[in-house]
Amino acid sequence: MSRNSFCGSQDHAMSRRRFLGATTTAAATMAGVGVFGDRALAQALKQKDKRVIMLWLAGGASQLETWDPKPGRPTGGPFFDTATSVPGVRISELMPLVAARLHRHTALIRSLNTENGDHGGGSVLMMRGRKNEPNLEYPDLGSILAHELGQADSQVPDYVSIYSQTEGRNFSKIGPGFLGSRYAPVQLTDRMGLENVTRPGSISELDHHQRADLRSLWSQRFARGRENEAVGSHATAYGRVAGLMASDRLFDVSREPQRVRDRYGPTQFGEHALIARRLIEAGVPFVRVARAWWDSHSQNFESHQELVPELDRVMSTLLDDLGERGLLDHTLVITTAEFGRTPQINPSLGRDHFATAWSSTLSGVGVNPGAVYGKTDADGQRVADGEVGAGEFFATIFQALGIDHEHELYVGARPIPLVNPGIEPIREVLA
Amino acid sequence: MKPACFFGASFVMTLVAVTASAQPPAEATIFEAVDNFIDTRMAEAQVSPAPPASDTTYIRRLTLDLAGRIPAVAEVQSYVAAADSDKRGRLVDRLIESAEFPEYMATRFDWFITAGNGGIRNYLSTAFQENRGWDQVFRDILLADLSTDQGALDYLKSRVADTDKLANEVSVTFFGVNISCAKCHDHPLVADWTQDHFYGMKSFFSRTFENGGYVAERDYGLVSYQTVDGDQRQARLLFLTGKDVTPEDLSEPNEEERKKAEARFRELKKKEEAPPQPKHSLRRQLAELALEDGQNHFFARAIVNRVWHQLFGRGLVMPLDQMHTENPPSHPELLTWLADDFVAHGYDLRRLIRGLVLSRAYARGSRWEGSQRPPTELFAAAIPRPLTPTQLARSLSLATTDQSQLDCEVPNGLQQAVAEAAEARNADRFDQPEDGFQIAADEALYFTNSEEFEKQYLHAGLKQQLLNIEDRRQLADNAVWATLCRAADEEELQLLGDYLTEREDRREQAIEQLIWGLLTSSEFRFNH
Repeated sequence: MSRNSFCGSQDHAMSRRRFLGATTTAAATMAGVGVFGDRALAQALKQKDKRVIMLWLAGGASQLETWDPKPGRPTGGPFFDTATSVPGVRISELMPLVAARLHRHTALIRSLNTENGDHGGGSVLMMRGRKNEPNLEYPDLGSILAHELGQADSQVPDYVSIYSQTEGRNFSKIGPGFLGSRYAPVQLTDRMGLENVTRPGSISELDHHQRADLRSLWSQRFARGRENEAVGSHATAYGRVAGLMASDRLFDVSREPQRVRDRYGPTQFGEHALIARRLIEAGVPFVRVARAWWDSHSQNFESHQELVPELDRVMSTLLDDLGERGLLDHTLVITTAEFGRTPQINPSLGRDHFATAWSSTLSGVGVNPGAVYGKTDADGQRVADGEVGAGEFFATIFQALGIDHEHELYVGARPIPLVNPGIEPIREVLA
Repeated sequence: MKPACFFGASFVMTLVAVTASAQPPAEATIFEAVDNFIDTRMAEAQVSPAPPASDTTYIRRLTLDLAGRIPAVAEVQSYVAAADSDKRGRLVDRLIESAEFPEYMATRFDWFITAGNGGIRNYLSTAFQENRGWDQVFRDILLADLSTDQGALDYLKSRVADTDKLANEVSVTFFGVNISCAKCHDHPLVADWTQDHFYGMKSFFSRTFENGGYVAERDYGLVSYQTVDGDQRQARLLFLTGKDVTPEDLSEPNEEERKKAEARFRELKKKEEAPPQPKHSLRRQLAELALEDGQNHFFARAIVNRVWHQLFGRGLVMPLDQMHTENPPSHPELLTWLADDFVAHGYDLRRLIRGLVLSRAYARGSRWEGSQRPPTELFAAAIPRPLTPTQLARSLSLATTDQSQLDCEVPNGLQQAVAEAAEARNADRFDQPEDGFQIAADEALYFTNSEEFEKQYLHAGLKQQLLNIEDRRQLADNAVWATLCRAADEEELQLLGDYLTEREDRREQAIEQLIWGLLTSSEFRFNH
C-alpha cells in the first residue's frame, strides 16, 4: 500500500464534509435563526438529512412489561397483554396508545442478546454499538450522527442529550471518543438550554454584533494565505455563535401552544420529548431524552405501572406529533436502554439486570412499520429466533438513516467502520 | 514602536550560502542539515519557500514553543532592536535556559506520554531542568520501582493492570508504532508486523504486576495466544525490529516453586515491603534492547519525529504512531540524519530543539502569497497551529496585564515578572489540539458571552492602561502590541481608530470591545 492511499482516505473524508457544508448551509441558517415550526421549512427539511430522537430508558426497562409480555407464565408478572394494530402482535396492556399505532411507524426487535448486564458497560455498548478498545474510545451514536448528518457551520447544536434525574447519570458515559470535542454532546441536566448563550448585560445588542464584525474582519485579514482546516474551524465556530444564541428559545416549551403541551402530558419526560421535537424540527441531527430510573430490583411491577404508561403516552404523542408535521419522513425514533430485565422475579418482587433476551424499537424513517423481528422462548429466558447484538442493532439504525453501515471513519490512517466488520443490519425491520 | 523587519547578518549569509545539495557536510549542525534536506526536496518539487517570518513573528512563535506563552512587549521590542549577528541564537538560548522552558516542556510531554493525567509531570519537569537524556527518561519510566523511583513510577503503576494496553502505549509513545491492529490478526497494512510482534512486545511486560504499591516482576510466566486459524502459540520475546531475544531455555518453575514465590509476594504485600528483583527482568531487557546499537532507530526516530511535529505542526512521518515501512517519511534522509545525530549526542533534547528552531525552515512566514499553497509536507511555509490550552491560557493572562507595571529594570527581574503574569488559569477550559483539531463552538460562546472571560480579561490591567491614553491611534497601537506582539499597520490603525471614534459616548466599553476583538482573533488563537 502506498503512502498516497493513506492520506487520500483522510482527504476524502474531509472533502465530503465540506461538500455537505456547502450544499446545506442555506437550510441550516434558516433552521437556526428563522421561523421555527414554519410549514415551508418542514417541507424543505424533508428533503434534507435525517434526524434521530433516542428515548433512553435509563436503568433498563423490563421487556416483559413493555414489548415482549409473557402473561400467564411463571415469569409473566401480574399484567396482561393487549392486541396491537398489527394482527397477531400483542404487547403489554400498559401500552395501549402505542399498541393502537404499532402498524404506522414502528418495528419491534425482540431478540437482543447484548451480553453485558452492567449499567456502565451496557451504556457504553448501547450508545456505541460495540465495546471500547483498550487504546481506542469509539464515538457514541450521537457524535457519529453529529459528524455524518450535522453541517459544519450549523446554527443549532449537533447533539443534545437531556438527562435530568440524577440516578444513573454517571453510568451513562456518552461522548465523541476519537472524533474530538467538536462532536461532543451538549449535556443538559437541570437547566434546559445552552451555556453562554446570553449576551452580557454590559454590552448593547448592536455593539455585540459590531464587535463580532471587528473580530471577523481582523481574522479574515489574518486567514488570507493561511487557509487550513484548523484556521477555518475558528471562523466556523464564531460563525455559529449568533445561531446558537438564537437557538436557546428551542429549549423553551412555554413557546408551544398549550394544547400541544397538554398532549405530551405534564411530566418532565413529556416536556423533554417536546423539546426534542422542537430541536429536531430546527435541524438538530441527534437528541437523546433519558428517562430514569427503571432499575427495578424491587417492586418491579409498581414502578413499571407508573413508568410504562408515561412512556406510552410520551412515545405515542411524539410519533403522532412528528407524523403530523411531516417529520417522520426523515426522523427515526429509537426506544432502547442499556439492557432489559430478568424474566425471573426475585423475592423483592423485582427484576434484575438482563442482557440475554430483551427488546427495543425503531420508529419512523427507513423502518418497515409493523415488523416484528425475533422471538424469545415461552418464559423469555432465551432468544428462540433471530438473535442479534448491539452491532446489528446499530447497523440497522445506520441503514434506516440511509448511511452505509460499512462507511469508515478515520483515526489517523486507520479506517474504522461504523460498526465492527462482518456485522449486518436486520433487513426485516428496514423499509 | 514601529515593526522592524531586519535580520541578523549571519542569517542573511546562511540564506545565500546554502544551495540544495544531496547531503549536508559531514560535520553539519542540525539546522544546516535540516535546511539542506528540506531545500533539496522543495527544489525537486519546483517550489520556492515563503519569505522568512518577521522578527516579531519569529519571537512570538519561538516564545510560544519554548516558554508556552506569547512574548511581553518589552521582549519583542528589545529583540527587534538588537542588531548583532547572533541575536537569534541568543534568544533561543535565553528561552531554553529560562525557568519556563522545563515547565512548559513537562506539560507538553506529559500530554503525549500520559494524555495529560499529571502523574509524572513533576518528574518530567525535573528531567527537563537537568536536561536528562531521552534514553535516561525512557529508562526512568520503564524501569521505575519504588526503591529507585525518580517520580516516574506512576506511569507503570497506573497501567500495569492491563499489559496489552501497556505494551501498545509504550510502542506508540516511545517507538512511534501502534501495534494494536496486530493483536487479533496480522497487521492489515504492514507486512512486517504480525501477531508475533504484538505478543512479542506484550511478553516483555507480561511478568510485571503491582504488589502492594510496588511494581514487581516475576521470574516466570509466558504469553501464549491464539492465531486467527485457532492455533495456540507460544509468544517469543520479539522486538519491533524483528530481533528475537527468546532465551534457549524456556522451562518454567514447577508448581511447588511457583506457589512458594507467590506466597512470598503475598507476604511482602502484607508487610508493604519491596518485592525482590527478578533474576532476569524482561522489562530491563526491553529497555536495553531498544537502546542497543542497530536496534535503537525506532526509539530515536519516534522522538525526533515527535519533537519535529511539536515545532512544525506536522511530523516528518504522519500520523505519529504509524512509523512503519508502508508509511515512509516525507524526508527519509533528514529523519535518519536527525535520529543518528540525536543518538550520537546523547539523546539530548535541548540540543535537538535548539537546532530545529534555528533552521530557516522553522523561521519561515506562514502566509502563502502564491496561487496554490504547496503541500504542507514540503515545509515551504510555516503551518499555523492552534495554541495548546497552556499557551492560550498563559497568553490571555499576559496580554491583558498592564505590562507597564512589570519590572523592566533588571533583565532577570523582567523575565520572572513576565512568567508570573502569564498565569495558566482557565487552561482546563480549552481543548488540547490533536491532528485534525477543530475549534468547537463552545469556545466561541465562552469567549463571547461568559462573565468569567469578561471579568478576567476585558476588565484587567490592559484596559486600565489603555484608558489613560488620549490619542486613539496610540491607544490602538498599544492594544495591538500587547495582544498580537507587533505594531498595527496604517489600515488597522484606521479601523480601530474609527471603532473608538464611533463610540466616544461609551469610551470604556469601546476599549473593552477592541480588546475582545483582538483576543478572539485567529491571529491570537494560532501560533503562526
